[in-house]
Amino acid sequence: MRSAIGYHSNAVKKQIAIVEDEPALRENYAAALARQGYTVKTYGNRKVAMQAFSTRLPDLAIIDISLEDEAEGGFDLCRELRALSAELPIIFLTARDSELDAVSGLRLGADDFLTKDVSLPHLAARVAALFRRIDALRRPQSAAQIVRRGALVIDAEKMQTTWNGAPVTLSLTEFWIVHALAKNPGHVKNRQQLMDAANVVLDDNTITSHVKRIRRKFLEVDPAFDAIQTVYGMGYRWVE
Amino acid sequence: MSIRLQLLIVALTTLILPWAGCQYARELETALRVSQERALEASADTIAQALSAEPQRVFRDFDDSEPFAPDQGDLYVYPLHGQPLLDGYREDWDVPADPKLLPSASGAATRLQAGSTERYLFLYLEVDDPHFVAEPVGARGSSDRFDRVDLNLEGPDGTLKSYFFATDAPGLIPAQIVVKGEDGYDRTTTETRIQAFWLQTSRGYHLEARVPLSLVGSRLWVQTHDGRGGVSGFAVPDPPRGGRLFMTTPGLSALLGIFIRAGTRATVVDANGLKLGVAGAVGNTPSDENAEEGTWYRGFVTVDTSSWPLQIALPDRVVGKSVAAALAGHPAAEWLRAGGNQELRLQAAAAIMAGDQVRGAVVLEQAGDQLLELRDRALTRLFNLTLFATALSVLIAFGVAAVISLRIGRLRAAADGALGRDGSIRLDMPESARHDEIGALARGFERLLGRLNEHTQYLRTLGGKLAHELRTPLTIVRSSLDNLECEGVRADQRGYLTRAREGVARLQSILSALGAAARVEESIKQAERVRFDLKELLTSAVAGYRDAFAGARFELDTPPDECLMRGAPDLIVQMLDKLVENAVDFCPPSGTVRVRLGRAGGHHEGHYELSIENDGPPIPDAMLERLFESLFEHRRGRDEKPHFGLGLYIVRLIAEFHDGKVQAANRADGGGVLFTVTLPLI
Repeated sequence: MRSAIGYHSNAVKKQIAIVEDEPALRENYAAALARQGYTVKTYGNRKVAMQAFSTRLPDLAIIDISLEDEAEGGFDLCRELRALSAELPIIFLTARDSELDAVSGLRLGADDFLTKDVSLPHLAARVAALFRRIDALRRPQSAAQIVRRGALVIDAEKMQTTWNGAPVTLSLTEFWIVHALAKNPGHVKNRQQLMDAANVVLDDNTITSHVKRIRRKFLEVDPAFDAIQTVYGMGYRWVE
Repeated sequence: MSIRLQLLIVALTTLILPWAGCQYARELETALRVSQERALEASADTIAQALSAEPQRVFRDFDDSEPFAPDQGDLYVYPLHGQPLLDGYREDWDVPADPKLLPSASGAATRLQAGSTERYLFLYLEVDDPHFVAEPVGARGSSDRFDRVDLNLEGPDGTLKSYFFATDAPGLIPAQIVVKGEDGYDRTTTETRIQAFWLQTSRGYHLEARVPLSLVGSRLWVQTHDGRGGVSGFAVPDPPRGGRLFMTTPGLSALLGIFIRAGTRATVVDANGLKLGVAGAVGNTPSDENAEEGTWYRGFVTVDTSSWPLQIALPDRVVGKSVAAALAGHPAAEWLRAGGNQELRLQAAAAIMAGDQVRGAVVLEQAGDQLLELRDRALTRLFNLTLFATALSVLIAFGVAAVISLRIGRLRAAADGALGRDGSIRLDMPESARHDEIGALARGFERLLGRLNEHTQYLRTLGGKLAHELRTPLTIVRSSLDNLECEGVRADQRGYLTRAREGVARLQSILSALGAAARVEESIKQAERVRFDLKELLTSAVAGYRDAFAGARFELDTPPDECLMRGAPDLIVQMLDKLVENAVDFCPPSGTVRVRLGRAGGHHEGHYELSIENDGPPIPDAMLERLFESLFEHRRGRDEKPHFGLGLYIVRLIAEFHDGKVQAANRADGGGVLFTVTLPLI
């Protein structure tokens, strides 16, 4: 599907769609991403965005959850976009920060979930990382980027994770957390270190719930999974 | 004044019932008294009417138009109830009056009393003549000097006969009479139908004589002569006046007996008030036990009778206002007190008429005690009933008051506790389902609390909403700054940019603090409970804190056994983080943070007690209670960054999630602060 619509090389400017009802924010994000060399299209509501997407899909979509008068318009848009393309990277960017929103967004197939507290350079880094993941998917594997820890295989290039050969679908934040833990097994990573690794500004609770979600995702492929250990008062560590 | 007391006073006003009862009883008594007077008066009048129709059965046929005049020799004859023995003694006469002294010019003192039975007239004489002169044999009546008693008797036929008693020896003697013989000489013969007993005493002699009534007319004169010639008594006047016998009409008492009822005494008196006939007796009902029992309150209810006249009981006559009025022609009744017992007695009298002349009166007497007893019985019942009613109403009032004050007390307790220290509001009030004023009050409270709760909820969520709303403009500012920085600013402008960034960062931290409470509450709601070892968690956490806070000293004190509990270990760690962070903040550089875990005693039995102690300055007492409220900023830590108190609020939320409690206290020596969390054992 992507080949029918999309891009074929880095030479073509990647196109990012920003769906955000707040014009000032929209323009600021657009300016920052344009400065990074992306083509940015901005839309104020779901209808306009969907209209545009039906003729041409962007290479990446940044979507606000509440759009004008639709409190959950972003979720609907995400669902519709996923129907058009299973692999289009989608980032939720929202003033909301509740756990429920994050879970819903990620369950709908978003690749990442960022609060509006994120700084523009961070946002740019996230976008770049997502593109990198997608690019890596189509290149042959290079062993150097691969971390193996027992049953775990992490491909930092493609940002893919497998456990006993079975793929574990992690969001970007989750991927970086697992990556940071597994790179130095046995070492305790505190919450701040995990936040730094994931390039996000989150409070402690969010880290806790990210870890919880990561465990759940691994448990889905292996009910005996217990490689991530909580070290109370300090953080988490990977045990083999 | 408590409601209980107020209602008690209200209930005591029912004591007016006995008072009103007394008033009523008095009026009732007065009415009964009047009706009893009327009834007795009517009875007296009826009897008087009946007797008026048969005057011959009431009055002996003699002229009594002249008033009874004892000083002229008129003699009242007492009715005798038995036949006395002729023995010279009067004791068996049973007459409560003393013999009357006869007038005397020169003779010895002589006292006379007369009595009668159905057949005989009895005379009794006491003569103080110690010098006995016996009758010489063949003495000539009028001329010889010896002790002698003359009896002049008017016969039923109107003829006057003169008998005398004399003897040569004391004992039973017949009367003697002087008759003129055919030869013209006076001769003395004996009249054996008239007998007497001559008794010699130390002071003189007694004579008890018996005369058949068939010999007795309407007049009688008695004279005594002593041996020295002294004479006492009434001489026969000429024409005869005085010496009349006022005596009971035979058969009258029996006749009266037909008219009267038990408990009533009827007396017929003549125009002088002298008793002609008596029947019946005033019944004195024996006082029963009820009256004795009721005495303690009799003082409240009795009518004062002490001013009522005393009845004057005379053996020969009836006196008093009612009799006087009846003899004047007007039936009347009066209340009297009789005897030493002050028994109440009702006396009513009505006139017996002969033509238009009052010839006598019927006097009826009744005990008033029957009435008293009636009243007492009624009053006792009334009193008992009203006392019972009062006691009951006091009891009921007390019960009602107790229930009301209990309900109000419950409502007050609920109102007191409705607003928790932490600002939580209990909306359900007791009593609100009841359909009375207290129920309405409770519902009023509920509405009030409901509105208060809405407001509190609004205030509570205001921070979160505000943070949320402010976030977008803040993001606009920050992203604009980001863009500005990337576009490149002059070096001299960079300072402003930096300051703007710092301002934004501070705003951001305030906003995240504002929103944090809501986030924590939400994450607590979603927390899962698992079994874990609190001791192991604590050991690992404190090890972490030793790394994280390199400058602080930690002491850990745990029991030897494992301390299993059920809960969310992540939350417990989060709680520990906040408490330890807080302790480190306020602990002086040389101080120690002591973490202790043990079993709680006292009323926290069945709980773990986790305490974190620092050597920091004490917290003012007023703040200790509010320390765990949301957004309560009580002091600044060493780092001078503002504390919004959210940390300790989160601690409380987590402790409460685990059914535990957290409290803060200053160390007794004032050199530190102790936070204690109680958590339930498994």
